[in-house]
Amino acid sequence: MPLSVHGLRKSFNGRTVLKGVDFSVAAGELVAFLGANGSGKSTTLRCVMGITNPDSGSISIDGTALETLQGRELQQARQRMAMIFQKIHLVPRRTALDNVCAGALSRIPTVRSLSSLLLPADVQQEALDCLDRVGLADRAFDRVGRLSGGQQQRVAVARALCQRADVVLADEPVSALDPHAAEQVMALLRELAHSEGLAVAAVLHQPDLALRYADRSIGLLHGSMTFDLPSTEITADHLDTLYAPDRDVSDRDVSDRTQAA
Amino acid sequence: MTPHTLTPAVARRDSTSESRVALVRPKKPLRWITTAAVAAAVVGLHAVAIEGTDFKPGLLVDGWKGMAAFIGDAFPPDLSWEKTLRPGLEATLVTLWIGLLGTTLSVPSALLLAALAANNTSPHRLVYQAARAILSFFRAVPDIVFALIFVTAVGLGPFAGVLALICHNTGVMGKLWAESMEEIDAGPQEALRTAGANRIQQVANATLPMVVPQFVGLLLYRFDVNVRSSLVLGLVGAGGIGLLINQSIKSFQFDSMLTHILIVLVLIIVVDQFSAWIRRRLAA
Repeated sequence: MPLSVHGLRKSFNGRTVLKGVDFSVAAGELVAFLGANGSGKSTTLRCVMGITNPDSGSISIDGTALETLQGRELQQARQRMAMIFQKIHLVPRRTALDNVCAGALSRIPTVRSLSSLLLPADVQQEALDCLDRVGLADRAFDRVGRLSGGQQQRVAVARALCQRADVVLADEPVSALDPHAAEQVMALLRELAHSEGLAVAAVLHQPDLALRYADRSIGLLHGSMTFDLPSTEITADHLDTLYAPDRDVSDRDVSDRTQAA
Repeated sequence: MTPHTLTPAVARRDSTSESRVALVRPKKPLRWITTAAVAAAVVGLHAVAIEGTDFKPGLLVDGWKGMAAFIGDAFPPDLSWEKTLRPGLEATLVTLWIGLLGTTLSVPSALLLAALAANNTSPHRLVYQAARAILSFFRAVPDIVFALIFVTAVGLGPFAGVLALICHNTGVMGKLWAESMEEIDAGPQEALRTAGANRIQQVANATLPMVVPQFVGLLLYRFDVNVRSSLVLGLVGAGGIGLLINQSIKSFQFDSMLTHILIVLVLIIVVDQFSAWIRRRLAA
């Protein structure tokens, strides 16, 4: 398993956010995390990525538990995971190519990474190949700020590819995008999982996207997992449980969407 | 005014007045006391300040004749080419060069100290505090004091002025840059950290590229300020048009003084227009 997580627990200021989360993501699989706001899905991803420190639990990459590693080895193991953010987090003033090259920084000597003019030619070529894989090779020398939101998120995916990650963690990758761009990015993530064998885990706010694109969906409610099922087996009842507190506004909504899917 | 004439912030489903939400602002009983206290404090401070600065408008009214005589002596400005205009223009160029070198040559030191003094790029809390302290020192010592110090080492002349501006501008620009770095979105830097980039790589590839427009804007602003500072530096012997203004006052040639001041006016307008033009291009 590229990524497996056991007994992940986390609390902030005495409030328990994760009450023991267990899951794994296989190579070639796109797994969606669903849940209401505050259910702990983003915290799960941030703990796995090492942005937030979990209170307890074990995170393994290709069978190696991260908590047994230290210093350089830990850093190298972490670099096999790449993160995609809701707010994209590219540098708008730099070109798409330069932003993608930044994914390779851990392999570039510091002096050669001080300016885009000094970047090794092979890294630049690899970055261009990554942009080609997300369908944006023709925009390589455009400033990222001039691209649309959906194109920017695809550049961010290319940056993750240029990091040579086997595991891609996406924290609400499409929440800031219009519906059409969201479909494109989800299709891209699914394609990367299926055709390139990446293990992709994505936190999603839209159950219909999860059901249509993810191979498997995991439901989180108040920091605990309520289901971990192939997306085809998920019913309106499953989703109702997740979004129960909002039921008076959204339950018809959710079941409608589920039927549509 | 009756409540019916007010529009509630919340839209209602039906418009009959019975179903409306009553608009009642929460009362804050202590608010007017706070307002009154602040107003009293401001008035009190001004009273003390007027006393402390001998601020007496009456003196200005009584002494207007002295001022009129002084200004009268200055008119018409002396426009003779050899005696006033040519030396004035040459000295103005020196002033401009002092301002230019004082700004550009302080860029490396200001950049380094800014990176160390911004909490999102500084490598360690102690380094951060030390860099802040150094910047505060360079900012606290006025450029004119730096000029006097450097004059004792390199003698009277523009070189002392350039050195003085480099020191003072390092302090001011370093602080302004550090603050603009702290204000930018931390997201891209965090993204590169999760990708395994080291601290220097994060700063060079995310933080600095993000702040380029703010940095250039502040640099132009400081160029504008430094050209004006270098005028004052001329008064203490650091060369340039300031020196000529000082000399013409001391030799009672007020008509030459006026010519020099008019040249300075043109210089300031040109510099201001130039930096406004660059900033407009950057924003576009």
